[in-house]
Amino acid sequence: MSERFDSVAFFSALASEMNAHPERFTILGDADMSAAIVMRRAGGDLRVGLRFEGLSCVEVGEVSSEELGHADYQLVGDLDAWDEMFDDIVANGAATGRLTINSLALLGERIVVAGDDPMGLDKFSRFNQTLQEFLDGASRLRGPVTVG
Amino acid sequence: MTDVGIEGLPTHSLLGQPLDWAWLQGVESEWGIQPKPSPRGLTMLDIAVGSYGEVPDRPRYRSMAPRGADIDGDTPDMGYILNRKSDVWADNVRELYEEAVARQWSATRDIPWTELPELPSDLEHAMCQVCTTLTEIEMIASDLPAKWMWRMNHDFLEAKMFLCTQIMDEARHAEVFRKRALANGGGLLKSRAGQESLLRTILEARTYTQATALLHLLGEGFILDIFRMGELISPSPVEKKMFRMAMQDEARHVAYGTMHLRYAIEHDPDVAEEIHEALDHGEVVLTDFGTNADFGSALAVLLAGGTDDVETKGFPLQFELTKRQMTSYLARCERAGVSRLERTKIPLDLLGIDVSTIKGAVA
Repeated sequence: MSERFDSVAFFSALASEMNAHPERFTILGDADMSAAIVMRRAGGDLRVGLRFEGLSCVEVGEVSSEELGHADYQLVGDLDAWDEMFDDIVANGAATGRLTINSLALLGERIVVAGDDPMGLDKFSRFNQTLQEFLDGASRLRGPVTVG
Repeated sequence: MTDVGIEGLPTHSLLGQPLDWAWLQGVESEWGIQPKPSPRGLTMLDIAVGSYGEVPDRPRYRSMAPRGADIDGDTPDMGYILNRKSDVWADNVRELYEEAVARQWSATRDIPWTELPELPSDLEHAMCQVCTTLTEIEMIASDLPAKWMWRMNHDFLEAKMFLCTQIMDEARHAEVFRKRALANGGGLLKSRAGQESLLRTILEARTYTQATALLHLLGEGFILDIFRMGELISPSPVEKKMFRMAMQDEARHVAYGTMHLRYAIEHDPDVAEEIHEALDHGEVVLTDFGTNADFGSALAVLLAGGTDDVETKGFPLQFELTKRQMTSYLARCERAGVSRLERTKIPLDLLGIDVSTIKGAVA
């Protein structure tokens, strides 16, 4: 394991990977959504906001707890759950078994999907495979991600 | 508009019919709007500008004349019965239409059919039974909008366009599940009277809003959760892909239904009781369907990975997922503005559903 998943730099690298390979997302079609990833960890949670437009991830950045509600939906889980998910992606090229983001959120035991806006919350399912393909990009990142 | 001179233009066609050049000058529709395309092209949201973006609460005409055109006063009545915007509208309907068009997929091309592995007989039978039932029930979500669309006022064009995409989506779902039932050496298995009763209940709803409550909120919400659990029941990547793609489509339909009901209730609070009455009956029929011997046991076998562990693993996991399905449905009702927490026919105690978690989740 050479990468640290709990960093904005890691998600920025995922965005770069997505934006460099729109062909992977063309089959899925345009997606317009914003998501917030919350990794609970000792020493303070990491909260990353992601914004997708069309076939691109156009914005990645750390957000405050107050700003979480601005996202269409939030995915919240302990860091070890996120680590296990990304380790599986890196090992297998894509999420497998019950470690897809859909299955994790469906079972709701380790990562939950949350949000106040019904139209926003719907987007987790409507654009689910775009989000999964974005996360699966972790398997294609070369070398350790530089944490700035 | 800037009038165009018509002096010198012919007054009759070559066949002697009188010509009318009114469209060249003096029409009352808005001219020169020129919407700006967004980065992906010119969307329905982009052209909802000026008077063309205004959807009347009660349209003046009941014809197929395009909203915003300069319409003859004697345009014929098409017999529309859904003539209030709140009858069909949802605030997200333009967005959902564009999304549907952008995210179409092919059951022929996009599912890796050649990668289907040979499965143990019990798993193949279970998958074929699930696909038989899904093939049967998916087309209700095509038939029902088709039944009502020709009665919808044409000023609600975007809602009708969205429902056209839903019809195509459901045709594809029937296609993909039928193909899966046949593709691996299995076939179509049992079709029971119980699910036909559910479909008939939906199809025979008295009003479109009742039909939407039964179809989009209850029925499709239930199926959306089945598709979401598709990853858990799929023996191979082929089924996983099939359920994942269908899930996204189904979520759009549920999003329309939820927001339509919300819009309807906000603009006509009396409609809430009408929706409740439909759901009172629908929940009973759906619960019967969800626990039916074929579909339920086939799901349990798939969840267990075979018949050996169906009792120890399959049914307990299915029970947990049923609990989540019902919780999701009740939460959707809250979002739609039609709280079922005090009225539902779903056996909450039996399922162990804590109502306070639903209230908290949607607060």
